[in-house]
Amino acid sequence: MGLITLPTDIPWLSLIWLSLVVPSVLIGVIPNSQKQLMRIVGTGFAFLSLVLSLLLFLGYQPAAGGFQFVERLDWMPQLGITYLLGVDGISLAMLVLNGVVIFTGALMSWNIESRPKEYWVLLLLLTTGVYGVFVSLDLFLFFVFYELAVLPMYLLIGIWGSTRKEYGAMKLTMFLMAGSALAIIGMLAIYFGSGLRTFDMVVLARNVTMSGDLQRIFFPPLFLGFAVLAGMFPFHTWSPTGHVAAPTAVSMLHAGVLMKLGAYGCLRAAMWLMPVGAQYWLPTIAVLTILNVVYGATIAMAQRDAKYIIGYSSVSHMGLVMMALAAGTQIALMGAVLQMFAHGVMTALFFSVVGRMIYERTHTRQLPELGGLGKVMPFAAVMFILGGLSSMGMPGLAGFWAEFAIFIGVWEKYPLIAVIAAISIPITGAYILRAVYSVFFDEVKNPEFLTLPKLTWQEYTGAAILGAILIAVGLYPSVLTEIINTGVAPLARQLNDVIVAVGP
Amino acid sequence: MFQLTDIPRILPEILLLVLALLVLGSDIFERWGSSDAARLERVRASAQLTAIGLGLIFVIALIQSGYVYTLPDDAPANFFTNILRNLQAGGPGPQPIIGAFATDDLTMIARLTFIGAAFLTSLLCLDSHPNSNPAEFYAMILFSTMGMCLMAGATELVMIFLAVEMTSIPLYILAGYFGEARSSEAGLKYFLFGAMSSALMLYGMSLAYGFAASALAGNSVANDLTQLSKIAELSGQGSPLLTMSMVLIIAGVGYKVAVVPFHGWSPDVYQGAPTPITAFISAASKAAGFILLFRLLTVAFPSLAGSAVFGESLGGWTSLLALLALLTLIVGNLAALPQTNAKRLLAYSSIAQAGFILLGLVAWAAPQQFDRDQGTSALIYYLVVYTLTNIGAFGALAAVSLAVGGDDVSDLNGLARRNLPLAVLFAICVLSLAGVPPLAGFFAKFYIFMVGWQSGAWWLVIIALFTTVISLYYYLRLLKAMFMEAPATDEPLPAPAGIMSAISIAVAALLILGLFPNLVLGIISRVQAVAGL
Repeated sequence: MGLITLPTDIPWLSLIWLSLVVPSVLIGVIPNSQKQLMRIVGTGFAFLSLVLSLLLFLGYQPAAGGFQFVERLDWMPQLGITYLLGVDGISLAMLVLNGVVIFTGALMSWNIESRPKEYWVLLLLLTTGVYGVFVSLDLFLFFVFYELAVLPMYLLIGIWGSTRKEYGAMKLTMFLMAGSALAIIGMLAIYFGSGLRTFDMVVLARNVTMSGDLQRIFFPPLFLGFAVLAGMFPFHTWSPTGHVAAPTAVSMLHAGVLMKLGAYGCLRAAMWLMPVGAQYWLPTIAVLTILNVVYGATIAMAQRDAKYIIGYSSVSHMGLVMMALAAGTQIALMGAVLQMFAHGVMTALFFSVVGRMIYERTHTRQLPELGGLGKVMPFAAVMFILGGLSSMGMPGLAGFWAEFAIFIGVWEKYPLIAVIAAISIPITGAYILRAVYSVFFDEVKNPEFLTLPKLTWQEYTGAAILGAILIAVGLYPSVLTEIINTGVAPLARQLNDVIVAVGP
Repeated sequence: MFQLTDIPRILPEILLLVLALLVLGSDIFERWGSSDAARLERVRASAQLTAIGLGLIFVIALIQSGYVYTLPDDAPANFFTNILRNLQAGGPGPQPIIGAFATDDLTMIARLTFIGAAFLTSLLCLDSHPNSNPAEFYAMILFSTMGMCLMAGATELVMIFLAVEMTSIPLYILAGYFGEARSSEAGLKYFLFGAMSSALMLYGMSLAYGFAASALAGNSVANDLTQLSKIAELSGQGSPLLTMSMVLIIAGVGYKVAVVPFHGWSPDVYQGAPTPITAFISAASKAAGFILLFRLLTVAFPSLAGSAVFGESLGGWTSLLALLALLTLIVGNLAALPQTNAKRLLAYSSIAQAGFILLGLVAWAAPQQFDRDQGTSALIYYLVVYTLTNIGAFGALAAVSLAVGGDDVSDLNGLARRNLPLAVLFAICVLSLAGVPPLAGFFAKFYIFMVGWQSGAWWLVIIALFTTVISLYYYLRLLKAMFMEAPATDEPLPAPAGIMSAISIAVAALLILGLFPNLVLGIISRVQAVAGL
């Protein structure tokens, strides 16, 4: 926002991912009996990373635009691999999102009693990877962090998860790794196809020297490789099972941030570096995303498990993001990034209410078995409704602005698709209201629910932060949109102008 | 001519031989008896002597190579600099000794790899209990290591054959050392297949020799006819006889490195052999085979390299190897999926890994010298990383089977709760095998994929990428057993200090090499000077 000026001689972006590597090493040496200390260290450093990302957000100069806080170190110069970090408007929004979600996720993890050491180390490593992806500008480095973000998930879900956890964990990992394999094909194609022999994304994007034919061939692997993580149809099936199986904080991180990593990869690697290929394939992708949006919402409607509802709602909402990417205009891209932010916060809120506040106490998430919880935990009800309204696109909440921008942007490019996708709005309303009613307002079905333990301060704090952000961004969206616009404008230009330069 | 000044150039081999004799001799001269206590004492003495000796030889070889520190020419002469200068006089040099043994950078790096691997293996063996005369066990490892070093430097057919036998025969004995049914079967099987492959290779060599002899028709001296570079000179126009010889040699070495379809022996042998020996066979002996193959093919048959570009101009040894790589990747990875024995699973994983290594050889098909050099670097980097990883993985398995008494996947259940450090180290090795960043295994694979793609074998790279996804499934099964399953008992699982330190060294190297590959890539890139012959 340019509100403050940060000293330039500090490697801010390295600090931000190191701020989570350090505690994961520290926690590794804390004796097993000191559970409370592990929680404090983990949460403390997560908070530090949030502060750092907020500082960067405030210190970014939108007037200057472009990549700022750039760090460059030779890594393997003979192969054109550099340690190159930098942030623009898009990655800043994602950094703040990640900071918020990891901090609140850490707060929601205080009840992990079994093997807390491994849990915290893996959780922090995962988040390190996410931060790393958002700040790296070298494709190789990007990929290294990307994998680091994906793999700890296997153990996190498999050990601390619930419902069919081993199946969910394996399915998720296999899908995402198959995606990575596709992405590597795309990366190698760019590296050799451009003839530049570098993984520096800024250089690769500035001179798109890859021939149009090659771009058309290798755009799908790179795009789909990341789109798997974004939950794009028909590669979305891992996502609801994974979300349901994961422990609360991991669901929050996963639906809240990791799926955004996929969309971010699609935008940053595939669309930015292969604009000609993108122009060729995006209409097809737009058609596929209709299925995401409408089918995801419809399936959510039919679920009885509250976590499955949120899982399929994520598929539907991420479908909107992908649809906006496929439209590729500036306003659509802005909407996409804003939707990633809004959906991240909202889903984190949902999962903390359903996964932590409700499931940890009632040990069930089946809608028919729940009911009347509004009397028992009014705070949870308020938060869930807040998230629900944002999800439905209620004006005054973050989700509204995002969906509004997306539908405007998609309308410009593909009016028919926008109309079809709009069907999802009433469906979303229906399944959210149904969930709200049967969880919080129906009659109490199980008398034991009346004596559930009170919410803890961690739960109050975490959920309150998430709720406050939804309202703040809803009331004053330009706090984000201004910065996001500086990031998406060059991308939108790239998509529409480079064609002229390279030729079809 | 062999000169006195050539002695420092083969110093590590000489030292290995001396050490082996010393280990044997010290045990013979000090026959303490064969009661259990005495035997344990003898095992300790031999094992420690071997480990310390190998550590020293590694340091000497490292100093000699000059990779860490090279003495400047104008250094003042004193006692230490004189020793150093004399040692480094045997450093990387251009001319092979009597045309048969090159001490170039390839040999130097290979030596360090093999001696390092033997050192780690000897640490793994510190706590195993050979049942008869312990010294033989350790001396065999040393003889075999010496054979590997000779294999890496051999530039002449007879030398190659002798080195291969020198490596293999001790390994046959070691594989069958424990005398149980499985172990004996492993030893016998290894021996029979090994003898077969030697015969194939020897037949191929005899064809090459005959070709050279008829081409030169009597105008030759000494060992001219069998020198690889001579064969290369003569093979310019290409001859079916030479191609035949090349194919037979590839098949022979293919058995040694266990690539499909010559892999039949390896799961049984790996499973039956004592676990530390399995680590040694699967890591060092395979690496030696690949280095031999690399030198043979690039020095003796460069004109038959051909190309691995799909559809255009398949032909030559690169496309043959590409085909083998394809089979190896698919069969190795698919066959590993249903395994329930962890050792056997890792055995199939090593077969699959050989497929990736072959990709590095296929890179020789690239038209540009620069890309071929990259291919060489990728190959050697992969071999170094693979050696470390496999020793780490089998080492961890050795610790588990020593404590639990079995090596099924289910024996790993709940390892994280019984011994967290061991489980973490094992997991890191397994993930490095799977190619997960930021571990060295990832960069090794990525680099191999890069050079393979550039050489035109992009179709193979794409298939290889998907087999890595398949491989992840069985690697994750090991992780699942260690971290997710409930342990059979809750009591801590003891891991011997020797094994833990060997795995720790391997894992530390994997992390460092993964984060800073340039630490060794700079040294490895010197090999290109040889390959450019």
